[in-house]
Amino acid sequence: MSIPIYTYDAVIVGAGLAGCAAARELQNAGKKVAVITKLHPLRSHSGAAQGGINAAFSDEDSVELHEFDTVKGSDYLADQDAVEFMCKNAPETIRWAERMGAAFSRKPDGKIAQRPFGGQSSPRACFAKDRTGLTLLQTVYEQAYRVGVKFWDEWYAADIIYKDGKVSGVVAFNIRDMQIAIFNAKTVMFATGGYARAYKINSNAHANTGDGLSIVARHGLPLEDMEFVQFHPSGLSGNGVLISEAARGEGGRLYNSKGERFMEKYAPNALELASRDVVARAILNEIREGRGVGPRKDAVYLDVTHLGKDLIMNKLPELRELAMTFLGLDMIKEPILISATAHYSMGGIPVDIDGHARKNNEEFIEGFYAAGECSCVSVHGANRLGANSVLEALLFGRFVGKTMVKDVDNIELREATIDDAQRAQEEIDFLLNNNGNETVPELREELQQCMTANAGAFRSKETLQIAVDTVKELRKRFKNVRLKDKSKVFNTELQEALEFGHMLDYSLFIVESAIAREESRGAHYREDFEKRDDEKFLKHTMAYMDEDGNISLDYMDVVLGKHELKERNY
Amino acid sequence: MSTEHKITTQKVNFKVFRFNADEDYLPYYENYDMEVTSEEVVLDILNRIKWDHDGSFSYRRSCRHGICGACAIKVNGRATLACKESMNDMVDLFGNELVIEPLSIKRAVKDMVIDKADFWEKHAAVTPYLVAEIDENPTSENLVSPEDADKLDEADLCIQCGACHYACPAVEVNEDFFGPAAFAAAYRFSADVRDNSESRLADVNEEKQGVWDCVKCFECAEACPKDINPIGKITKLHQMAFQEGIAKNNVAVRHAVGFEKSIKKNGVLDEGGLVLYSEGPAIVKHLPVAFKMFTKGKIVPPWGITKSENLDEIQKLVKSSSTVKF
Repeated sequence: MSIPIYTYDAVIVGAGLAGCAAARELQNAGKKVAVITKLHPLRSHSGAAQGGINAAFSDEDSVELHEFDTVKGSDYLADQDAVEFMCKNAPETIRWAERMGAAFSRKPDGKIAQRPFGGQSSPRACFAKDRTGLTLLQTVYEQAYRVGVKFWDEWYAADIIYKDGKVSGVVAFNIRDMQIAIFNAKTVMFATGGYARAYKINSNAHANTGDGLSIVARHGLPLEDMEFVQFHPSGLSGNGVLISEAARGEGGRLYNSKGERFMEKYAPNALELASRDVVARAILNEIREGRGVGPRKDAVYLDVTHLGKDLIMNKLPELRELAMTFLGLDMIKEPILISATAHYSMGGIPVDIDGHARKNNEEFIEGFYAAGECSCVSVHGANRLGANSVLEALLFGRFVGKTMVKDVDNIELREATIDDAQRAQEEIDFLLNNNGNETVPELREELQQCMTANAGAFRSKETLQIAVDTVKELRKRFKNVRLKDKSKVFNTELQEALEFGHMLDYSLFIVESAIAREESRGAHYREDFEKRDDEKFLKHTMAYMDEDGNISLDYMDVVLGKHELKERNY
Repeated sequence: MSTEHKITTQKVNFKVFRFNADEDYLPYYENYDMEVTSEEVVLDILNRIKWDHDGSFSYRRSCRHGICGACAIKVNGRATLACKESMNDMVDLFGNELVIEPLSIKRAVKDMVIDKADFWEKHAAVTPYLVAEIDENPTSENLVSPEDADKLDEADLCIQCGACHYACPAVEVNEDFFGPAAFAAAYRFSADVRDNSESRLADVNEEKQGVWDCVKCFECAEACPKDINPIGKITKLHQMAFQEGIAKNNVAVRHAVGFEKSIKKNGVLDEGGLVLYSEGPAIVKHLPVAFKMFTKGKIVPPWGITKSENLDEIQKLVKSSSTVKF
């Protein structure tokens, strides 16, 4: 099959909030832009965000308080210049989404309604019932479509074209017929989402396999703060499907098997609305000390019955449906079973505020950008606050699109050749033709079990060493894989194998970065180093992989600012 | 505090549609026997077939909690969103023999994966976005009262899964017909007080493609996994068309108006009169059928219609609710 080469000013991989927002900016500025997505844009995981999107615009709130809560929530690892930029631009961004058609819930005076969320000084999460991400994704996609953005849906981005410090395109194939094509471009943006699928119990979509991170890392480029994976307090027992923080924001309470409202012990002031890392560890601690509930004793109760049917039906209808479908429990009548679930990736492709991807601590990659969950700006530091993720994706996606508009005329197109597709072609050929005796589902199960058990909400040198060894062993065994499906039509077995290869690579970044960080900060909790150590580790991890798959670590300074370092209590 | 939550298991036989457009001349069905737990949903079964039995089995899926719309299929002929349908409910409904098929067999590309090009084309045809000048740097939001926000009537919850579209018999026989999902999208924007589209409502009122060709069978309402009730939105689009004066005096619209005329006149439906009103002189083409129906006692001649006893009550109701202008 011959390989066509398409030429664009900008190619964006991923069609969630960040990708669609950036594409709309570029198209509006008259640039030729394409968005490549392995799903249909409306299937992107941004649409699964339930609870809200933060902006300080009520009379009792202020941008400065939003900044403070975000920095404190991050356990002071967030870069304060990026946090200031985000919080300052949040009100305009949300109102812009509203102007484009987002169907927010409203207050009696017609303004956008807001609800309380964990770790926040004021009700700040703007919401659309319990499906905020859905209306935002629909809206941004609709308005990108309206201005004429070209979407290549069900195309799988397999590689970037990277040489001499410059990215000049993407190699992708059509999932429908395996046709490979080169998307030659002056600028490339990754908006490929998070990486929590590496864990057995997670809240993420099947698609969240973190492809973008490993594609970048395989070119020897850095990934930042990969050890910080957020465990959300309320995943449904057994499968980790998310029950939004909105359930606690509206007044939901947590109880153990003895009927104790145990958050009184762990966060006497904020209770259930302490930051997510604190609540998740409290739940897991109750369970491992034998006070769990449910048929496997692997959960605690989340009780919203006292809120009454009207409030639940009006503000939490989707959550009620989820608990009925997966547990057969009606939260209007009875408490439901929840436990911590791997949820969000704080780490990712290191970028500056304008979205330029870093080659190392000092240099940037020409023509390469990232935004949203796959990136690390870093506004979330060691722990993200609820309702800041959709904000980050929408806001930075849009502003990085603006950056690309500014940059693109000063970047020369490096013309692609067919040879640029060779790496991707070899990877695909290997997977289709290799005749080993391992299967992807088995290897993936081992990886996910290992990550949950050893690199989860509680970690130590001992468990992380097991994880490092296991991931390395699985990387070897993956070379001995065999696929049954050799066909060229919707070969989802091949796609899962490519995705698993990515999961293996970035998982090594998670565990190697975690083992070196001998402190506890935000979501990274080391049982052998329970205190935060600002002297040694008030730094971002910058990890690189060499051609043999060995990880080397470097560190980068955190951008501090007006919010001074303090101990974090809730 | 406690919650009754036990996990049970049962044996189920799955008969699964298989087809690869590149390799197979005809589709076939594969059998799988499995122990199914009460915690599982239909998507778990699809995953187990792929991961434990046959890696080549293909289907679309992503979010796994009923919000992305990728995984709609059919179980025993009934449209379902695989990730949101509990296996217990499926067995309660259909027993232990379940047939798993794609939403539309004639559009099958591989196993559960279908070509949805027609679905997206119809979606695109209804101007599926808010038509408004976008203020790129707003310092305030539009003020929308909670009552006005509620007018969307959950149409914004549609996840474009296609379950209703491929359950719709009108879509099946009329390739121009936009279908229930596209109408729900049209309603979502037309009902939005912020929208200024001048063409959308007219587009969905055109003959053949528009709302008047809906056969009112309620299949879409049955199929929708999000309880959006697309036919409810179609009815609201009918009403909007009259309110905005867009409804045209053509056969499709007259067919709807004819009901109103008949009820106003008699309090009951005069089927022959209805056809006469909607088709006009073209009614001659139906005469052979009408004659046969008459001889079998299926229709009453116009002079044989008995009027309802509460005709004045009915006429008051019609007067207060009707928006038709012809």
